[in-house]
Amino acid sequence: MAVAATVIHVDLDAFFVSMELLRRPELRGKPVIVGGGLGPRGVVNTCSYEARRFGVRSAMPVSRARQLCPHGVYLESDFTFYAPASRQFHAILRDFTPVVEPAGADEAYLDVAGTEQLFGTPAEVAASIRARVRGEIGITASAGVSANKLVSKVASDAGKPDGLVVVEAGHEAEFLAPRAIRELPMVGPKTAEVLRLLGVHTIGDLQRVPAATLVARFGRHGRELHDRAHGRFDAPVHSGRGEAKSVSREMTFGEDEPDGERLRAVLRGQAERVAADLAKQQRSARTVTLKLRFPPFETLTRSVTLPGPVDLADELFQAGAALFERAWAEHDRRPVRLIGLGATQLQERARQLQLGETMQTSRLAETVAGLRERFGDGVLRRGAELRAPRRANDTPEE
Amino acid sequence: MKVQVLQENLQRGLAIVGRAVATRSTLPITANVLFATDKGRLKLAATDLDIALSAWVGAKIDNEGATTIPSRLISDFVSQLPPATVNLEIPERSRQVKLECARNESTINSMDAEDFPRIPEIKDGVSIELDPRVLRRAIERVEFAAASDDSRPVLTGVHIKTEGDRLTMASADGFRLAVSDVTLAKAPSEAVEVIIPARALRELARLIADANEPVEMRINPQRTQVLFAMTDVELVAQLIQGTFPNYNQLIPSEYTTRAVVSVDEFKREARIAAIFARDGSGIIRLQLQAGNGMPGKLSVSARADEIGDNTGEIDAEIESSTGEAAKIAFNTRYLSDVLNALTGKVALEMTSPSSQGVFRPVDDQGRTLDEDGNYVHVVMPMFVQW
Repeated sequence: MAVAATVIHVDLDAFFVSMELLRRPELRGKPVIVGGGLGPRGVVNTCSYEARRFGVRSAMPVSRARQLCPHGVYLESDFTFYAPASRQFHAILRDFTPVVEPAGADEAYLDVAGTEQLFGTPAEVAASIRARVRGEIGITASAGVSANKLVSKVASDAGKPDGLVVVEAGHEAEFLAPRAIRELPMVGPKTAEVLRLLGVHTIGDLQRVPAATLVARFGRHGRELHDRAHGRFDAPVHSGRGEAKSVSREMTFGEDEPDGERLRAVLRGQAERVAADLAKQQRSARTVTLKLRFPPFETLTRSVTLPGPVDLADELFQAGAALFERAWAEHDRRPVRLIGLGATQLQERARQLQLGETMQTSRLAETVAGLRERFGDGVLRRGAELRAPRRANDTPEE
Repeated sequence: MKVQVLQENLQRGLAIVGRAVATRSTLPITANVLFATDKGRLKLAATDLDIALSAWVGAKIDNEGATTIPSRLISDFVSQLPPATVNLEIPERSRQVKLECARNESTINSMDAEDFPRIPEIKDGVSIELDPRVLRRAIERVEFAAASDDSRPVLTGVHIKTEGDRLTMASADGFRLAVSDVTLAKAPSEAVEVIIPARALRELARLIADANEPVEMRINPQRTQVLFAMTDVELVAQLIQGTFPNYNQLIPSEYTTRAVVSVDEFKREARIAAIFARDGSGIIRLQLQAGNGMPGKLSVSARADEIGDNTGEIDAEIESSTGEAAKIAFNTRYLSDVLNALTGKVALEMTSPSSQGVFRPVDDQGRTLDEDGNYVHVVMPMFVQW
């Protein structure tokens, strides 16, 4: 495969901690831990490399981190302070190519194929990006360059902190071979444990396991595991240009759902997630759409166009719930097979403030969106959703 | 019943009361106009049960009586007749009205006047005399800010409150607030606080038009109905029951930036911006920039994805305690609504992009006008990414 190494993965080093050090330089060199809440349920968002030496890792409970690193400096994360830097980071990337795929507030993939005339080789582009991030934001970034997103991601991790690793096309397997199996994306603790029992400790070990053995052990993921171990990965950098025209979430119930309370709770959760997507894309919606399916395949959609743009979960839910109540009543409140909520007619994100409104509602929404962006949809749920937990056979189509 | 009335008088009367005819009602007779002889004149009346309009026209009464006729039919018919005398007659025990005018003869099916909803008469209660020009101006500056959807019924009305010889009108739809303050010729016998449907006041402003005669506002002792009486026309409305929100706290008394600009220039730039904003989000962005010795400027801009953008500038006297350019964005409609209610010069006062924008009419020196009373209009901004 004559593929050139034009895919760059750029990752801000310990982003939240780096931002905190910008405003508190006196903490440099100390183990600094930024947590989403510092109470008993707090979780480590990011920690400095000094803290990592004590064994502190992101996603670890803060209470555990305190045991490992009692002298560390514990700070609460402050999204409003980090967000402008994140926007600036993504803006820098777009100066080099429109083909930028954000992978979170602090990382992104770029494909710089065809920009050599303008900005030099991919390695030179990566170096320029790192220099600009350092110069303009004041923090460091690591970058990996290779022929695909998978290897570039491993390469940027390998270079951390403040490093640049280039893997020439055709040398992917060779680059991966000596690395620990956990460094391969898609290998989580469970897979690693199974592989360890098979005697696989490095990616090189995995390369030597026949594909058939992996398929027998892991099903269709076995094939994928085999390809990835060799550094083969086809998904292109997806810039998401030609912005989304709609955002929606659906849920198909394993057993047709007769319970209105639960249907409303599911809708509520979908509103939260649609709102988070809108926040991520900096859009708001004029139209809210509800989709219902009654068994076997009677599907209906209802929509309402609102007087002004909305982007808060509460507003989406209110509009969706009103549509739901009417449509469900018209269908004799029969059990529902599928429920979905969508936002269309997207436009520039803007909120018409109400008389007497403070900005707190919006701030809360932005914080929720920020958490979801970093930790996934599951990090926060409404109490109402918890009372109606997902059942084993329900499948969200998200 | 037998009356003779001039075509143009009948046409004018029908046009006045026609505004209160119900368009969609479960009570069919409310689509009719009441015709009744009344103390030597012909009384026309219509009601949709929220408001009622009555008009008296000069007529020669040959026989007393009353009936009701479908409004649409009679109005369309009379408006086509030549300017001549209309003879209107209901033979004994007939359900049909006979009309003759010039060389037209017609019969129209009527409904019994006994079945027409009774229009409340308000004889006692508080009475307030209002100058028609001042009243109309106050209404026009306030009514458009009332809510058009009835999720909060009190907000579909205009709050009216008197204190001594001051009468304050206020309306708010949750996003904006308009308050107009007028001085009465005479303090009412007791203080009044009521909520009048904005629609009733809109009709009243139309009726007043260029009238010179004073308007009497009378509120019944139960505070459930209001009557506006002029010489030949009366409007009765049901008052909205409920508590109007305390709005005084929503009018900021301080600001960090204030721009005084010409209303006409501001309107023109807002209209241009609206063209660019209409395919997108309907957002107009304003930037207030002090001039440091030079005249300051107000820039008005709008943009739409995939279409383009526009920025216009007008001269402004800027007063700023921060020295920095101030930014605020408004919904196109809210901005044009308030500008359309003003003339001369306007002051826009603001503190931050996410707090109230305050519009006040001012004189050439930038002082708040107090000719027809005080006016203040508060608009909540759009919170946008700049």
